[in-house]
Amino acid sequence: MEDLFSIFVRAIFIDNMVFAYFLGMCSYLAVSRTVTTSVGLGAAVIFVLGFTVPVNYLLENFILSRGALSWLGPQFAAVDLSFLTFIMFIAIIAAMVQLVEMLIEKLSPTLYSSLGIFLPLIAVNCAILGGSLFMQERNYANITEAISFGLGSGAGFFLAIVGIAAIREKIRYSNVPAPLRGLGITYIITGLMGIAFMSFMGIEL
Amino acid sequence: MKALINLVEKVKPHFEKGGRFEKLHRTFEAFETFLYVKGDVTRSGTHIRDAIDMKRTMVHVIIALIPPLLFGIWNVGFQHFQATGEEATFMDQVVFGLIKVLPIIIVSYVSGLAVEFIFASTRNHEVNEGFLVSGMLIPLVIPVTTPLWMVAVATIFAVIIGKEVFGGTGMNILNPALLARAFLFFAYPSYLSGEVWIYTGLEDGQQLVDGFSGATALAVMAIGEGTMPSDFDMFFGFIPGSIGETSTFAILLGAIVLVATGVGSFRIMASVFLGGLFMGLMLNLLAVNEFMALPAYKHLIMGGFAFGAVYMATDPVSASQTGIGKYIYGAMIGILTVLIRVLNPAYPEGMMLAILFMNVFSPLIDYYVVEAQSKKRQKRIEKIRLQTQA
Repeated sequence: MEDLFSIFVRAIFIDNMVFAYFLGMCSYLAVSRTVTTSVGLGAAVIFVLGFTVPVNYLLENFILSRGALSWLGPQFAAVDLSFLTFIMFIAIIAAMVQLVEMLIEKLSPTLYSSLGIFLPLIAVNCAILGGSLFMQERNYANITEAISFGLGSGAGFFLAIVGIAAIREKIRYSNVPAPLRGLGITYIITGLMGIAFMSFMGIEL
Repeated sequence: MKALINLVEKVKPHFEKGGRFEKLHRTFEAFETFLYVKGDVTRSGTHIRDAIDMKRTMVHVIIALIPPLLFGIWNVGFQHFQATGEEATFMDQVVFGLIKVLPIIIVSYVSGLAVEFIFASTRNHEVNEGFLVSGMLIPLVIPVTTPLWMVAVATIFAVIIGKEVFGGTGMNILNPALLARAFLFFAYPSYLSGEVWIYTGLEDGQQLVDGFSGATALAVMAIGEGTMPSDFDMFFGFIPGSIGETSTFAILLGAIVLVATGVGSFRIMASVFLGGLFMGLMLNLLAVNEFMALPAYKHLIMGGFAFGAVYMATDPVSASQTGIGKYIYGAMIGILTVLIRVLNPAYPEGMMLAILFMNVFSPLIDYYVVEAQSKKRQKRIEKIRLQTQA
């Protein structure tokens, strides 16, 4: 239980997808204009990561990695399908995103239209694939750990995008120098938020 | 006084449009408003003018900063002579402190104000008075051993990236003074950690006293060796540390000024202290290691806790604006500070980073506080409507 909690907290604050690895920047920068849409996108990312990481964990451990197929019989012990990792991970992610897209379209058409192209683009969001690849690299012991890592990474992205959206709403009427308006100032804010998130680096849980 | 007004009025035409020093108009205006409240009269519409403009507000903060500043100057000298073991009179200590601290203050003001004036003239806005406070805060939160060029670099970075790119005073999202310190902390870590807190530049024939330790109380706790100063020393500030942060007593004097003049928010100060105390007590319950078992009240008098709570967290621009938001914001700062101190071995001091972190999220807190309020009122209106219809 303690392990699960520490993985969750680590993924939110210490190994934050946006501020520690600078992953998922495209949707982070593009959809963070208002708090309401960024809450929608953040929730979608939590949902997608919370599903794809454990599903990919099962794929990795029971089908793809070397010797993973040995549950079928001893003759499969030498089979190594890990060259299929990327394509399989992406396929799972794309399927999940499709599902989320249909759900959002059904449940909240306004959110669906305000997210626009960035909702299907979650499928190629590096934060999502990154979540699965980090899961692979860090060798989590069981599926519950993978779930808590997935949800934690999603929550970290959620926190980042909602935080910057609130800041961008606040500075909407600021007299920012003309060349920096829009994306320029957003990059600067992201850097400053990164400094603030540095407070958690080095914590060992 | 009359002569001064006459002088200002006499040179004024040179700085107006078409005058000889037209380019320096903003610089002139800054000095003019620094000396007098302008006699402008609004001709149309209804306006309320108050003598308490931004300049006067900032001067209140400067007054509140005087106790920790004076104490810090003396403490620099006191710590130095204690380290070398020399006998020194009170005056010696003050003079030594002045020689070390004044250049830092001057460098901070000159470099920061230079940036301000350049931006004001090129972007044609008024010179922002906010730097009067930041320029004083920066020297107070860094160790006295910081090289002057670093002070200048950090100040310029903080003023440009922290403030001017957002449009100047009142628009920044992070506290500029803290940003300067964070910049130094991450860019030149060896100058802001460990045992650099006392000026021990030794001359011929001087040596350190045996058994003398230059580590701050927080470093002592984090490393686990050395002796902790007594509560009395920590409260009144006879300890090593950044120039202005050591004396909780002097800082509380400043807090009284801030609260009495209404410049600093009492809600934020109180909730930071309560949050820190609460988290300290919670960790006491766990008490896995020595740092966690440290009595909760000690967190409040150690390191930069009091200084951050009184002068940094209350910065009206980067803090939460809403009433309830201020409580949440302050309490989170206190909680995070103690958590970072105890749990993060990389940073013995958590105050700076906790405040920066909450600066980032204060717009979000405000957003949801406002949302909740408007929903509540919406409901009340609905209720009244239903009652009147019935």
